Amino acid sequence: MALVEIRDVRKTFGKTEVLKGVSLDVEEGEIVTIIGRSGSGKSTLLRCINALESVDSGEIRVEGQQVHAKMPDLKKFRQRVGIAFQAFNLFPHLKVERNITLAPLLTGRIDKSKARALAEDVLTRVGLADKIDAWPEQLSGGQQQRVAIARCLAMAPHLMLFDEVTSALDPELVGEVLKVMEAMAKQGMTMILVTHEMGFARNVANRIVFMHQGRVWEQGPPAKLFANPETPELASFIASAK
Amino acid sequence: MRSFTLIDFVSLFSALRWTVALVVLALTFGAPVALGLAMGRISRFKGLRWAMAALIQTIQSVPLLGLLFFFYFGMPVFLGIQVPAIIAVTVAYTLYTAAFLGEIWRGGLEAVKQAQWEAGACLGLSAWQQFRHIVAPQALRLSLPPTVGFLVQLIKGTSLASILGFVELARAGQVVSAATFQPLLTYALVAAIYFALCLPLTLWSRSLEARLDGSR
Repeated sequence: MALVEIRDVRKTFGKTEVLKGVSLDVEEGEIVTIIGRSGSGKSTLLRCINALESVDSGEIRVEGQQVHAKMPDLKKFRQRVGIAFQAFNLFPHLKVERNITLAPLLTGRIDKSKARALAEDVLTRVGLADKIDAWPEQLSGGQQQRVAIARCLAMAPHLMLFDEVTSALDPELVGEVLKVMEAMAKQGMTMILVTHEMGFARNVANRIVFMHQGRVWEQGPPAKLFANPETPELASFIASAK
Repeated sequence: MRSFTLIDFVSLFSALRWTVALVVLALTFGAPVALGLAMGRISRFKGLRWAMAALIQTIQSVPLLGLLFFFYFGMPVFLGIQVPAIIAVTVAYTLYTAAFLGEIWRGGLEAVKQAQWEAGACLGLSAWQQFRHIVAPQALRLSLPPTVGFLVQLIKGTSLASILGFVELARAGQVVSAATFQPLLTYALVAAIYFALCLPLTLWSRSLEARLDGSR
C-alpha cells in the first residue's frame, strides 16, 4: 500500500474545475516533485492532501486513512503531515522557540521540560540553532522558511508537503532552504513538493509529476522526463523553465 | 454662597468612586459580551454573523443617553417592570461597551491573516487553540489603541449616568459649582481629574503596545 493514494480527484472553485480527475500514488520514502504552469492545479492538489481543501469527488488516502475536512481525527492526522508554505506563515508574535514548541506542547506531544531541547534539536537540523531566541521578523526569508520547516519537523511528521517554499525568496536565499530539504530527503522523509526549482527536481526527486490543465499529464524519473518528454506540453514547459 | 473648600475637593474625589464603578461594571459585563459578539461576527455560520451584525448596528445607532432612558424610564412603560437604577445603568453600559468593543475586536481579528489560522490548523491545533494562542494575541495588539480610545470615551460617557441620579464626577461638579458659585474653578478641576484618569491609560496602552510587539 502506498503512503499516499490519490484516486480520480476532482475539485472545482466556482466555475473553474481545477482538478479534473487526478490519480497519483506516493510510496513511503519517495520524493515526488510536482511541476507545471501556474493554474495547473498543483498547489490545490497539495492542499487537498492535508484537507486544507476538500475534494468534490474521488478520494485521497494517507496511510490508508481517507482524508477529508470532516474526518473524525483531522487534528491527529495533521500532526502526521507537515506542510510548509510559500509565505512561511510563522507566528510573528512568538519567538522562534515558541513558534516551534507551541503545537507539540498544546497537542500533548511533549511536556514543558522537553520543549527547549526539542526546539534546539529541530533547529540544529535546519542549521539555525543560534536563532532559538530570535523573533521571526529578525530573520531573513530563507531563515524564516527553515524555521517553518523546523516547526513541522517538531511534530515528527510521516509526510512533508512543500508548497512553492522557495518562490518568495531572493535568489541567493533559495540554496539554503533547498539544502535543508535535501538533507531531509536523505534521511528518508517522504516528501511531496510543488516547486519551480528544476535543479532540485532533477537532482533530488525520485519522480517528477507534470501537471497540466488539472491533470497528471506525464510522470516518471527526472532523468527520463527531462531528457525525453513524451508530450509537447512538457517539452515546451521544460524549454520555458530553463 | 460659600467659598471653595477642602470639603468640595473631597466631594469631587469621592464622586470619582461612581465614575470608576460604572467603568468597572461596563467592562466586567461588556468585555465578555464584546468578545462573544466579535467571535460571532467572524463565525463561519452566516446566520450568526448576520444576527451579531444587526445587534451591533442597532445598539451603536442608539445614543448612550437613549439606552439609559430606555432601560430606566422605558422598561416600566413598555414591559411594566420597574428596573432599579443600578441595573439599568449596568445593562445600558454593558450593551454600549459590548457593541463598540465587539466591533473593534472584530476588526482586530479580521486583520490577522487567514494563513495564520491555517498554519495553526496544519500543526494539528483545534480551532479554539488557533484562536487562543495564534490569532487572539495578534488581534489584541492590533486592537489595543482603539480599545483604549474607547475606554477613554467610556470614562467620559459615565457622566450621563447622572441623569439617573448617580452622583459621579460630572454631577458632583455641578453640585459643587452650584454651592460655591465658582464654576470655572470647579469644572477646571473636574476636567483635570478626567484628564488625570485618561492620560495614564493612553500612556499605558503605548507601552503595552511596544511590549506586546516584542520584536521591535
